[in-house]
Amino acid sequence: MSLDRRTLLAGAAAWGALPWRSARAQAANTIRIGVLNDQSGLYRDLSGPGSTQAVRLAVQESGITQRGINVEVIEADHQNRPDVGSTVARQWIDQQGVDVIVDVPTSSVALAVNNVVKEKNKVFINSGAATSDLTGAQCSPNTVHWTYDTYMLGKGTGGAMVRAGGNTWFFITADYAFGHALERDTTAFITAAGGRVLGSVRTPFPGTTDFSSFLQQAQRSRARVIGLANAGGDTINSIKQAAEFRITRGGTKLAGLLVFVTDVHALGLEVAQGLVLTETFYWDLNDKTRAFTNRLGAMPGNVKPSMVQAGCYAGVLHYLKAVADMGVQAAKASGAEAVNRMKAMPTSDDAFGEGTIRPDGRKLHPAYLFEVKAPSESRAPWDYYKLVATIPANEAFRPITEGQCSLVRS
Amino acid sequence: MEDLLFDLQLVALGITNGAFYALLSLGLAVIFGMLNVINFAHGAQFMMGAFVAWMLLNWLGIGYWPSLILSPLIVGLIGVVMERLLIRPLYKLDHLYGLLLTFGCALVIEGLFRNYFGASGLRYSPPPGFDALDLEYGDFFMPGYRVWVLLAGTAICVATWLVIEKTKIGAYLRAAVERPQLVQAFGINVPLMMTLTYAAGVALAALAGVLAAPVYSVHPGMGANFIITVFAVVVIGGMGSILGSIVTGFLLGFVQGVTDVVYSEASQTVVFVIMAIVLLTRPAGLFGRA
Amino acid sequence: MSEATTTPREVAAAAAPMLQVQGLEAWYGESHVLHGVNLEIRQGEVVTLLGRNGAGKTSTLRAIMGLVGRRAGSIRFEGKELIAARPDRIARAGIAYCPEERGIFASLDVTENLMLPPVIAPGGLTVEEIHALFPNLKERARSQGTKLSGGEQQMLAIGRILRTGARLLLLDEPSEGLAPVIVQQIGAMIRQIKQRGFTVLLVEQNFRFAQTVADRHYVMDHGRVVDTLANADLSASTGRLQAYLGV
Repeated sequence: MSLDRRTLLAGAAAWGALPWRSARAQAANTIRIGVLNDQSGLYRDLSGPGSTQAVRLAVQESGITQRGINVEVIEADHQNRPDVGSTVARQWIDQQGVDVIVDVPTSSVALAVNNVVKEKNKVFINSGAATSDLTGAQCSPNTVHWTYDTYMLGKGTGGAMVRAGGNTWFFITADYAFGHALERDTTAFITAAGGRVLGSVRTPFPGTTDFSSFLQQAQRSRARVIGLANAGGDTINSIKQAAEFRITRGGTKLAGLLVFVTDVHALGLEVAQGLVLTETFYWDLNDKTRAFTNRLGAMPGNVKPSMVQAGCYAGVLHYLKAVADMGVQAAKASGAEAVNRMKAMPTSDDAFGEGTIRPDGRKLHPAYLFEVKAPSESRAPWDYYKLVATIPANEAFRPITEGQCSLVRS
Repeated sequence: MEDLLFDLQLVALGITNGAFYALLSLGLAVIFGMLNVINFAHGAQFMMGAFVAWMLLNWLGIGYWPSLILSPLIVGLIGVVMERLLIRPLYKLDHLYGLLLTFGCALVIEGLFRNYFGASGLRYSPPPGFDALDLEYGDFFMPGYRVWVLLAGTAICVATWLVIEKTKIGAYLRAAVERPQLVQAFGINVPLMMTLTYAAGVALAALAGVLAAPVYSVHPGMGANFIITVFAVVVIGGMGSILGSIVTGFLLGFVQGVTDVVYSEASQTVVFVIMAIVLLTRPAGLFGRA
Repeated sequence: MSEATTTPREVAAAAAPMLQVQGLEAWYGESHVLHGVNLEIRQGEVVTLLGRNGAGKTSTLRAIMGLVGRRAGSIRFEGKELIAARPDRIARAGIAYCPEERGIFASLDVTENLMLPPVIAPGGLTVEEIHALFPNLKERARSQGTKLSGGEQQMLAIGRILRTGARLLLLDEPSEGLAPVIVQQIGAMIRQIKQRGFTVLLVEQNFRFAQTVADRHYVMDHGRVVDTLANADLSASTGRLQAYLGV
């Protein structure tokens, strides 16, 4: 079934993008931004059409059109499949003159698109994917990894859990690049802090809805902490079913290693309260984030922006600054040059504040350790987090020397 | 001893999942038997059942128990409209057309719900009081709601089987599966019966959806995830076999539970391995007539 | 059913034909199988359709029941026009059909098969009366329908339409493939139900059998009625008939 369905959807995605080809005439003076993400699956709410909306806001606020530069934004669904993602990326670049691909959650797809963009010398601003390999073993001169990564999550959430006494772990891991990377990076922090990992189980991705049997294996291991190395709908179902089976009744703790604000919304505070999580953006963090959220307006599905969507905004805003700085011609001619210009300029936006981009493509900004509020503490819709700790930008991410990125050796 | 309790829990859990498989494959079998249509929209209709329960609760304040009746009725009515407008013109054509049409319907329905409700899913909590059914013994713990699902699912399957095998309406159905024209020539409005049969199959899916709503989060893809396994159940049981779909549903739930104990990574795959073996050795399915 | 309770409507019906078929044409898909069939049957008659294979006998019965792809012309039953009616409406009007292949349902037992056709009017036989006609059906009540012998299946196929209160029975080759003793039993049964006031339209290839039960015979060829014979004249016209039947 899935084969047929995917093929149909891929066809539909390609067809939907066709009309843009007519705009060839002004090609030389036009920047084309392709937002490639999950429009139909479990990551839709945290990226999806909301990311496109954030990108459009960035285009509008960059003021670049007043300088006589055209910007076009197109979007497509990669269905969480690397083959679909790289096909769309190739088609966009070859046939529709796309200059920059944005978002791309799902690490396996992000790594595939990473290769295509590098080969074609365009720009890849990744916000949605987690794998730290994007700025490590598979780093690329054409890629900026904006929002977060598995190292940051493992260090933030994993580190906090170990400090609170959770020294034995069992992982429930989504069986693809992201889950593996998150488990690996978190394990490093656990063992470094003197903890032990007792075991792990890989859950099929996508398509698992019942996590109860996996949760029971975790329980059987008698680990103090069950680490959820998954995301989106998978995390929601895991946490929900853990509550149903009272997994935590014997003192076992759940560590949602990647929990987005949209997931908390779907779970409800009753179930989600007390979860510790790490994010780099929260809509209600400060005046600037609140102002950004207001400017963004109503989002699809009436959600508040996730850090992924905020990252799409900030990444595109910064890219357009670099384009304005170096000129459209130069920016279009070489993606690597555009990325170099982005790395040379300090970043500044309402979502993430001031920051920089490292030579390996890692965007640096602070990370925040939040705890989900109890229902009684929540005073307004989407008032979900209280800030526990701020991890400074220079500590939140993996040191540049440890990533084995080939761009760094020189 | 402790491990044995965990093992038992996994198997018991598998069987409760089997209740969902049985309910869904039962509806598919009824529809296929009578209409000769492979209803690919079944997963979407399961999902609609859960969503209608959610809407009844959040928009009209109607709770779980009335929803168990109302949601299947409402989704069944939608089924009536689908059958009359879309499926009926295809009866004279090959299976494949019905399959493609209902598959298309499923995509459209899922897309509409995704557009409106997003993909993360909505909360639907069961009414309080299911704790009374909690089964707990040392490390063995079965939430009361799952116990209820198992009991209700079994009861509905048995009731459906009794209606088909032991009542006059059931006799009409069985006869119309064999020779629809002759049954119509006896004075029975077979086209109406086909519509109602489709609606009943759809209502069964919706009922399973309401039962599933508190277990899984209510989201547009919830049926699509399930339906692939359910089609394997139907193939293993034998296309159109009522008893086959019920027994196979529970059986596969049990097998998955056992697989979870032995090697949990294979618990999704095992169904398809069994399907392949059955197709090679008994192409008509375990309960199908060759 | 008795003479004493005859209603004005039945008198009127007796005057006009019970079933009047005029210019009946029928198609299966592209294939044009009936080319203007005309026939009429009066209340209480037993009438046969004779003719060789492919003459259109079965198609005529199926067309009357509405079981062909498309049909045209006129079928008036007790004054009602049925040419545009659905099969279930036609059945409800009072016509019952027993197909050549008998149509016994494998997934139903004998009793379920017997009780399947809904009662559409009073005046049908009771189950006891049917069991009296066909004792085998009582003995084998719980057997699967298709486990019966050919003769028993034929009895079941006819028995179940006697229950419904239909006044006109369409029987398609009830004697086909049966042992002579069973054929005799079926013949006796047809005479018995004729006495009870049933009207029968019978398709037959076996005109010797037809002769023992029928009042009149229509001879069909190439999708048309080509001749009508009274039963009394049948022996006299054997030569003519054999020419039609190609015996």
